[in-house]
Formats: sequence, C-alpha cells, structure tokens
Amino acid sequence: MRRLVTLSRANLKSFVRNRAGLFWTLAFPVVLVGLFGTIFSGSDAPTFNVGWVDQDRSAASAELRAAVAANAPVTLVDGTLDAEQAAMRKGTVDGIIVIPAGTGGAIAAGRGGTATAPAVLTLITDPSRSTTSQALSQIANGIVMGTNAAESGRPPSLALTAQTIQTEQLNSVSYFVPSILGMALMQLGIFASIPLVQQRETLILKRLNATPLPRRTFVASNMVVRLVLAAAQTVLILAIGTELLHVKVTGDWLVIVGFVALGAVTFTSIGYLIASFARTEEAANGMTSVVQFPMMFLSGIFFPLQILPDWLRGVATFMPLTYLGDALRQTMVGGAPFAPLGVDVAVLAGWLVVCFGISARFFRWQ
Amino acid sequence: MLRATAGLRPGTSSVIEVRDVRKAYGDVRAVDGVSFSVEPGEIFGLLGPNGAGKTTTMEMLEGLHAADSGEIRVLGMDPTHQAQAIKERIGVQLQTAALFPQLTVEELIDLFGSFYPRRVPVGGLLEQLDLVEKRNAQTKNLSGGLRQRLSVALALVNDPELVFLDEPTTGLDPAARRGLWQVIRGLQAEGRSVLMTTHYLEEAETLCDRVAIMDHGRILDAGTVKELVGRRFHERTVRFDRIDTLGDALLGGLPGVSRVAHEHDEVVLYTGDVPATIGGLLDAAATAGTEPENLMIRRATLEDVFLELTGRALRD
Repeated sequence: MRRLVTLSRANLKSFVRNRAGLFWTLAFPVVLVGLFGTIFSGSDAPTFNVGWVDQDRSAASAELRAAVAANAPVTLVDGTLDAEQAAMRKGTVDGIIVIPAGTGGAIAAGRGGTATAPAVLTLITDPSRSTTSQALSQIANGIVMGTNAAESGRPPSLALTAQTIQTEQLNSVSYFVPSILGMALMQLGIFASIPLVQQRETLILKRLNATPLPRRTFVASNMVVRLVLAAAQTVLILAIGTELLHVKVTGDWLVIVGFVALGAVTFTSIGYLIASFARTEEAANGMTSVVQFPMMFLSGIFFPLQILPDWLRGVATFMPLTYLGDALRQTMVGGAPFAPLGVDVAVLAGWLVVCFGISARFFRWQ
Repeated sequence: MLRATAGLRPGTSSVIEVRDVRKAYGDVRAVDGVSFSVEPGEIFGLLGPNGAGKTTTMEMLEGLHAADSGEIRVLGMDPTHQAQAIKERIGVQLQTAALFPQLTVEELIDLFGSFYPRRVPVGGLLEQLDLVEKRNAQTKNLSGGLRQRLSVALALVNDPELVFLDEPTTGLDPAARRGLWQVIRGLQAEGRSVLMTTHYLEEAETLCDRVAIMDHGRILDAGTVKELVGRRFHERTVRFDRIDTLGDALLGGLPGVSRVAHEHDEVVLYTGDVPATIGGLLDAAATAGTEPENLMIRRATLEDVFLELTGRALRD
C-alpha cells in the first residue's frame, strides 16, 4: 500500500510537471467544451418553434393561440399530437403545447364563476435542452396564469402538466458536455501508453524490475493516476458545463461517478494495449491517433450516431467510446439512449477485460 | 549452523556462484559457459570490451534475464525462483541511469526506498554520494556524473549486502571517476560485496580484489591482478632508448635475457634475472663508449595480460 501511494504520487508529480502533457490532456478538452458551448448555446434560438395542438377547436382556444402568438417569442406550428411529436423528434419544433378538448367550456365556466375542474394543458419539452425547456415552461405558465388572473378570486379554469420527450436535437450544449467528458476520458486513458513507452525506452521499467516492486503494484499505480486525473477532468468540465453553460446535470451522482471511473479504467487498458505493441514513443503516438480519431468522429461525440450511414453506424457499435458517451449523456442530462445502461456497462467492461488480457500476455518490461 | 546455509552448496559461503551459465539471443551466444564466484566483502570486476557479455551476465544475476542453462546462486538463492527475496537484499545500478526525469533527487531516492522493506535514511545517502546540494534538482537537469552518482545512491537505498555496478564510471571525467572509486571503496569498507563491470584497465587494477577477463561470452581467466600477470609473465622487461652500436645478437646474449623486442625507438629485453641483465647491459654499453638513456624496469601489466588473452587492446 505504501509502495502504491508513493509510486502514484511520483507518477502524478511527473505528469503535473510536464506542462505540455498537462495542457493537452487536461486543459484541451476544457477549451473544447467552452468553444462548443459558446457556439451551440448561441443557436438555442431566441424564438422557438412550438407545436400547437388544438384539441378543443373553440373560440376560446383560438383566442389563446392569438394571444400567445402575439406576446411570446414563438412561432406556432399547428398539427395533431402525433405529427407534432414526430416533428419534435426530428428537431423542427422545440416543444409542444396541447390544448385539451373542453378548454373553451372550462374558461367560460371560470368567467361565469361556475368552474368545477380546470382544463389541463400539456407542455412537452426535451429536458436535455435545458434553456429551451425553461423558456417554454415560462411561456406555458404565462398562458395559464394570464387566463386564471382574468377571473381572479374564482377557482382556476386552466392548469398545466408537463411531459418530456427525447429528441434527436444536436444543437444543444447539453449534448456536448457529457460527450466531450467521454472524449476527454478516452484521451486520458489511451495516452497512458505514452509515459509507459517512454519509461520502457529510458529503461525505467527495467530499473523498477530490479527492485522488489511487484508488477501489479506498478499497474495499479497507473490506474490510480489515471483515475485521479479523470476526477480532476470531470470536475473541470462539469464546472464549466453547469456554471458557464448552464447545463443541468440531472442524474444520480453515484452512477455518473461510476461511469467516469469505468470509462477511465477501460481506456487506460487500451493505453496498455498500445504500449504492449508500440516499441517506440513515435509508434505509440501513431497508434493513439489511429485509435482516437475514428472514435472521436464516429462515436456520437460531435454529432449523433443517427445521422451516420448504416455501415459507419455498424462500426460505431463496436467502439467503446460510443457506449461511454451514451452512458454519460443518459445519466447526466437524460439524453436519448443509444443502448440500455446495462449494455453500456457490459461493452465497456468487455473491452476492459479483453485489453488487459492481451496486455498481460504481450506487455514487455524491457 | 547447517540450517542457515541450507540454500548454499556445501562448503561455500560465496555471495555469488555461477556455473557454466549460457544465454543466447538468436544465433548470438551472448554468454557462453561462464563460471566464477564472488566472496563476501570482495570487489570483483568483470573486465572486457563492449559486447563481451559482461552486462548480460550481470543482469542474469540480478534476475532481469533467465539463463538458458547453468546454475546461478546469489546470496545462496536461485534468481529464477527466489527473485523477490534476492531483489530485497541486492543493490542494482544499470549501465544507463534510468531516472524519472521530472522527479527531484530526493523524491527519487524516497520513491525507491519505499519499494524495500528495509531502507536507509535519505539524508545519509545524499551525504555519502555528495548529492546534498542537488537534492531539490529535477533529475533531467543533472550532469552525467551526478546522474551516475544518483543511480549509485538508488542502488544503496535498501542497505544491500551485495551491490551490482555496471560500468559505473563510463563517460565520467577523471575527477568524477576518482570520486566514485572512493564511494565504491567505502561500500567495501562497510562490509558489502561488489560485482562491477568495467572496460577501464586502470579501474580494475586499482579497485578490484579479483578480476575476470571476458570476451565473446567467455571468461578467459580470473584471479587477482598479480595472479593474472604472474601466470603469464614470469619475466620483467628492461627498456631503454635504442643504441645503434648494440645489435640484437649482442643484447640477446646478455645474462638472463630470453627475448629482444622493439617498441617504437625503445629496446625491450625480457628477462628472468633483472640485476644480471642490467649489469651486462651497462658493461656492454661502456665497452661501446656510451650508456643507456631512459633505462626502465617494468613488470607486465593487466594491459599486457589482456592483449595476450584477447589479441587486442581494450581501448580499440
């Protein structure tokens, strides 16, 4: 245990004192989050397209529509509930307001002071697009409160209920924050190969081999270092995401921490795999590029998998980053699932076991 | 008492015993049937040119490579099966100083110390290796001599009984080399045994109690420097600047002289009886009306032994 602690501390110190490495592994993803955040939070349009589903078709509901269209920063798109939901999934409308049958009657009853039960309007939003859903919920509340206020002192004639729907919307900073966290964890892990190969090339591994330090302690220390870095990285990216970009992290913290740790360890095992086959630092650099770039672009980090052609999506279904990004989006911002969380765990654990198994067989200490 | 030596061959207490050890890399027989032993408290030197198999031999003893065949005992234990126990009690300095570049001298010593169940205080080591001033310097900024001293310090963190030094002074300037010799003598004074490799004859001659001369994966001869020289060169040499009037035939007839040779402008007389040879030489010179300039008597050196054994000079 003492050996693990001192070795991990020594490796961390080495890492932190290497300024260039520090920038590329820790700071660069943070810069990326900031960059994407500003670009895409800007395109959360100031006017929203709202699906307007009028199931009442009364004079009163037409009056409501006119009032909303005139006063709120929205463009209303009329249609049936099914049509609007399909449009919302495709991203052509940002939310849906449903005026139920009987709304006109309820308002009339309210004005006459004879209201019994209020008509319940439904607002459908995508919670992963926090800015948009907040704005829409203010608008919908405005409709309800405005109508109820006109009949003050009497029982309310309108109420509001909220529903959520998962959209394929990509121009949302909420999509990027967990995605880039996943990418950062991938890089943190596979770049573990570089110091390993450096230490082998400079005979540090050989020298350690001449001490009684058990190899498992050495490997465990690498894991500890990567987990500490992953924790630092997660805190940095989440701080920027929540404080500067106003992303709402909704999930269970324990589950999120679990996925961050599983992701860090899995990708570190891929780093070990690279270090097992790369003889020189140059070769290791080349191999990390070969591993990281396809994953970066095909694992749904910068754009969702749905827009890829089928054969590329087939490739993506093998990539561990697909599942880490998916799990982080699901657990952090309630993103639409690519696979159930159990599958995400299984695929990541599978990669972990396979990569470690191969590395244990082929890794050379000198 | 018998129990305590159970791991050793009966009748020995050598810290290192090597019998007919072989190691090949592909077609290259790096170590080709090497046998020797190192006794407690001894500084033993493996002397030979680059590629002679010194480092491979040493690294098999350190447990870094497995031998293809032969027997190895280090502190009475077998490196293939008891590597861990051996590693706790030996100190290792590799030919290339392998140091974490971003750690400071003190941090690195502390780190290596943590690997061992038994360790010496960092401060004492810093003083012993004269590294106190550099304790807070990152190792990447150290000069060659300091790196070498630090890697010797790392070999001593566990208070080892047996220290392996692989060309500890290679690449050092003469002052730094002498400084390290002092350190190595100090290790012996503390009761440690030392196995070192070197390709400096002077280093082997001044530092090592016994020397094994290696070439092409074999030990050509081993013993004290005196033994090595005496075994081959019973004679001494009498040297002087050439005198034209004294021909080889005359010189070869002087008392005690077995052979006459010329090195540059010097005449070299091999003799078993130095006083008789010099007496005869002075008489012959006086008769010719002259006297020998730069007259010298020398015994053969390790260099002569090396030349004789390997057919080449070590500094080639």
